[in-house]
Amino acid sequence: MTTAVADAHDAEHHDDHGPTKGYKRWLFSTNHKDIGTMYLIFSLVMFFVGGAMAMVIRSELAIPGLQFVHPEFFNSMTTMHALIMVFGAVMPAFVGLANWMIPLMIGAPDMALPRMNNWSFWILPVAFGILLSTLLMPGGAPAGGWTMYPPLILQTGDAFPFLIFSVHLMGISSIMGSINVIVTIINMRAPDMSLLKMPMFVWTWLITAYLLIAVMPVLAGAVTMLLTDQFFGTSFFLAAGGGDPVMFQHIFWFFGHPEVYIMILPAFGVVSEIIPTFSRKKLFGHDSMVYAASCIAFLSFIVWAHHMFTVGMPLTGQLFFMFATMLIAVPTGVKIFNWVATMWRGAMTFETPMLFSLAFVFLFTIGGFSGLMLAIQPADVQYHDTYFVVAHFHYVLVPGSVFAIMAGAYYWLPKWTGHMYNEKLGKLHFWASTIFVNLTFFPMHFLGLAGMPRRIPDYSTQFTDFNTIASIGAIGFGLSQLLFVAVLLTAKRGEKATDRVWEGSHGLEWTVPSPAPWHTFTTPPKARIANEAFD
Amino acid sequence: MDEQERKKNIRRTALIAAAVALAFYVGFIMMGVMRS
Repeated sequence: MTTAVADAHDAEHHDDHGPTKGYKRWLFSTNHKDIGTMYLIFSLVMFFVGGAMAMVIRSELAIPGLQFVHPEFFNSMTTMHALIMVFGAVMPAFVGLANWMIPLMIGAPDMALPRMNNWSFWILPVAFGILLSTLLMPGGAPAGGWTMYPPLILQTGDAFPFLIFSVHLMGISSIMGSINVIVTIINMRAPDMSLLKMPMFVWTWLITAYLLIAVMPVLAGAVTMLLTDQFFGTSFFLAAGGGDPVMFQHIFWFFGHPEVYIMILPAFGVVSEIIPTFSRKKLFGHDSMVYAASCIAFLSFIVWAHHMFTVGMPLTGQLFFMFATMLIAVPTGVKIFNWVATMWRGAMTFETPMLFSLAFVFLFTIGGFSGLMLAIQPADVQYHDTYFVVAHFHYVLVPGSVFAIMAGAYYWLPKWTGHMYNEKLGKLHFWASTIFVNLTFFPMHFLGLAGMPRRIPDYSTQFTDFNTIASIGAIGFGLSQLLFVAVLLTAKRGEKATDRVWEGSHGLEWTVPSPAPWHTFTTPPKARIANEAFD
Repeated sequence: MDEQERKKNIRRTALIAAAVALAFYVGFIMMGVMRS
């Protein structure tokens, strides 16, 4: 096993050499910054691929009736959009941020297992190549929903084994990435950087990595059982053979609910870095934030059945999952109030990363509150499988996770490129995104409350107005993201960034030059510097 | 902590994490086997 300790030792003798030239730099890279960059670019590409599928969905739903696509293809679009956005866009974006920033934040020369890092990235394009290839297969891409419930998913045509194989590959990639994060944080911290002195982004990623190694294998187990049910004559989930389709739902959501926190805990970490910087204050209640994130992670394991209240379960089960779910509001509230307390009487300025973070706090909270409504079992029987659920999870994942990724990208971009990005363009991107994201997803609450079911390509005419508004919002949101591409393309034209970049920034990552050199912290930072950065 | 010891710790942490992941994978499949 090659470790970064050995590599760092070599690097001390080769400090002056840069990356190799050409494609080999990227294909064989073991450098955390290069791999982080590849993850981020990959996730952006997938964001646009998944976004294009969302455009198909919203175009079809702009007016009642069937106008552009067949219902089967519509179902493929909803399935593929979800799989791509969850596993291809949001998760790899946070892994990219982790790759870039964790070693810089803890004063490590690289990730602890650099070669495994290369593997965990390069498995991803293969996995998504396989998944996307199903669009060209007879019978089309998977259309049974990202939750892959049997027996419906077993009706998928030729695409089925490819779906299962690609989900396995995504799982392997995530597990390898999370092992790397855990090993790096546990073993490679700067001298005297105790666990409770770690930045919040590092903490939230450590907790996320533990969640990942616990639940990604569960998803892999579930889809392995689907595979054997389809091809090897087992009956794990087939009622005709004595199996239980509801057991799949239990197993899937044992993975699926922590998965939600896998996509939001690193977002909490990013926002917890940004708000103190632009409030020019220390993060309020750092330790309580750590305990709150740990509580959220623990609770995420014991609430899964709130996704399946309508399958029927004993009253005690309904009550347990309802109250356990509501309990998550407590540690989440701790985080929200701590961010507000951090801003309280701070010398706040509103650069693009701060604007995205503020929008995150407001809009994620809306998603949290609608989640609380869905947690109420008797009410959930009405909300279940309606657009209210679609509105809820999109508020958590778009102005939640995606806005935090955007905030992080703007915040650290000057450290990556060595130049300040175009602030005017950044603010335009923020305002367009914020207006359109609300225009898209807020009306879906009303549609859901009025009873419009999800995953349906056509609808009753009474739902027309809100659907048309949502579709206009979605197309506006999609186009707004081109502004982000413009920001990236012009990122190196701005004025030179200082090492510290932001007036209120603190932490080891701001002690290295901008752009961050290819090798950093080849010798561990002095304890005094590390302490000054964190105290 | 010297480099050798750190390398050993890195290997140990990685193997423990991988074992946990494997246990969850096998454990849930075994649970399915026992129930079906």
